Amino acid sequence: MLDLAVKDLKEHKVRTVLTTLGVIIAITAIVSLGSISAGINDMVSEGISMVGSDIIFVMKSFDMSEMSGPPTSMQLESIKEDEIQEISGIFGVKRVVPIISKMMGGFFGEIDGIDMNELDIWGASDIQFKEGYWPDNDDEGIAIGYPISQFFDVGIGDYIVLNKKDVEVYGIFEESSGAYDMAAILPYSYAEDIYDMEGEATMLVVEPEDISMVEDIKNAIEEDYDDLDAMTMADAMAMAQEMTATLNIMTFGIGGVASLVAAIGIIITMYTSVLERRREIGILKAVGAVRWVVLKQILEESIIMSLFGSLVGVGISFFFVDMLNNVLLGGSNLALITPALAIGAVSYGVIITVIFSLYPAWIAVKTDPIDAIRNG
Amino acid sequence: MKEILFRLENVWKTYKMMGKGIETHALRGVSVDVKKGEYVAIIGPSGSGKSTLMHVMGCLDTPNKGNVYVDGKETSVLSEDDLAKIRRRKIGFVFQSYNLIQGLTAAENVALPMRLDGVGKKEAIKRAERYLLRVGLEHRLTHKPNQMSGGEQQRVAIARSLINDPEAILGDEPTGNLDTKSGLSVIKLLEELHVKEKKTVVIVTHDSRLAARADREIHIKDGNIDQDRTNHNNSHSH
Repeated sequence: MLDLAVKDLKEHKVRTVLTTLGVIIAITAIVSLGSISAGINDMVSEGISMVGSDIIFVMKSFDMSEMSGPPTSMQLESIKEDEIQEISGIFGVKRVVPIISKMMGGFFGEIDGIDMNELDIWGASDIQFKEGYWPDNDDEGIAIGYPISQFFDVGIGDYIVLNKKDVEVYGIFEESSGAYDMAAILPYSYAEDIYDMEGEATMLVVEPEDISMVEDIKNAIEEDYDDLDAMTMADAMAMAQEMTATLNIMTFGIGGVASLVAAIGIIITMYTSVLERRREIGILKAVGAVRWVVLKQILEESIIMSLFGSLVGVGISFFFVDMLNNVLLGGSNLALITPALAIGAVSYGVIITVIFSLYPAWIAVKTDPIDAIRNG
Repeated sequence: MKEILFRLENVWKTYKMMGKGIETHALRGVSVDVKKGEYVAIIGPSGSGKSTLMHVMGCLDTPNKGNVYVDGKETSVLSEDDLAKIRRRKIGFVFQSYNLIQGLTAAENVALPMRLDGVGKKEAIKRAERYLLRVGLEHRLTHKPNQMSGGEQQRVAIARSLINDPEAILGDEPTGNLDTKSGLSVIKLLEELHVKEKKTVVIVTHDSRLAARADREIHIKDGNIDQDRTNHNNSHSH
């Protein structure tokens, strides 16, 4: 009898609101933190579906422990022209595309200089434009992700500054272009000028003749060059998974503690409520309520609180994630509330509440009607 | 010979005082039959076991020893939920302190046992309103218990006891909290239900004048039946 549950919750408005607040905080914590790994997973799988699974990225080795400062200060050492030539000669290699890749200052984005005729190697040729078009190989222009244009407040014909040089915006990608939301792409030759990297690359994209050769090529590169790392899409996937696994542990750690506290709040509230309503429960039993009805009565109340709290928590998370993206992640779309995350968090909130309410519900079921009616 | 509604055979009810190992016997081997359509008063001093006797009869309490039959069915073999079903369908309880749910209106309180029987809210409320009319409270449908007098609340409780059309109404000191006038009108209402609708009425009281109005008086003393007598010349008897 849902109306009876609603009546009881309304009779104790303050207590209901405070208990629900606990649930809201817990679910907000889980969804907000979970949105980061959900976003990374989403981006990686979208990225892979875009570039295909058969390419290999080659970069100079670097030691994570030597990295200092924020990731935006990380600059990769370059690969020299002769090395690029040698790698092109490895058996099974169809083509090698050198890329000059730089972190974007002030934004969580990436600048890539690439031969405009080779864009297809990582699926960039499929990008749709909101405005403008790709620069040609001999143009001095750049095409950027929509969030970047928003962040720097630039349109077609405006300039952005790369390495102290003004670069004209030729094109802006369609919104939600996945990984390319945070990319700025310019012709390789222009990037050579800007960064003073004649014939060099920070990264090579290697395409094999056949997908079966991916592992062989990767091994050949790593054996011949101590200072180069070759990463297949499978490796990238594994790396992303490792990263999200760490994030997930954090999410469940913080979220777990928060939801435990929320659940204890619910137990206390429901336990108090059961004790207060001993007489009412006694009356229900005396006039013929079976045990299930009494149990349901208590569970309904906690389900209402947790369902409402979880939904509000998810709602607040949208706000938080927006802030996270705009303030901490510099306008990116990295943190993402996927439907699975939202539904998962709400179900989790409700299920944990039901489990924790079983004890007070059991106390209610065990109430002796005669004693409850006589002594209240 | 009329059918027997309640049969108690050598019923014992013992309470253990918490942690002290002291046992109190509320009932000491009581055997009694109540026939369908009877109007019975159980009378005795406080602590005599009269309320316990009624609770055991009405499946609100279970005996430690002995057998209880309701409408020919042995109750010791029934589950807690089966007993709840008997309370819901065959018996209507009226308590001294009314025991209405405070946050619910008169009609919602009356509808409760029907809703517990799986009937939808709308239909149950409609029926509840009929029963409130029956007890003379058609002007109190949406009043909450704390907006009503004691006598009115007890009438609501009687309407609640009637809603599932039970065989018997069991009243535990139904007039105990009421002044003489409203107490009398509550008793008259119960008597009317007994006469007109052939309900079995069992009331527990310590008031001998009230008990004298019943067709039969069962006197309880120290957990046993002291006297069981029939009053032949009551005006409301059929």
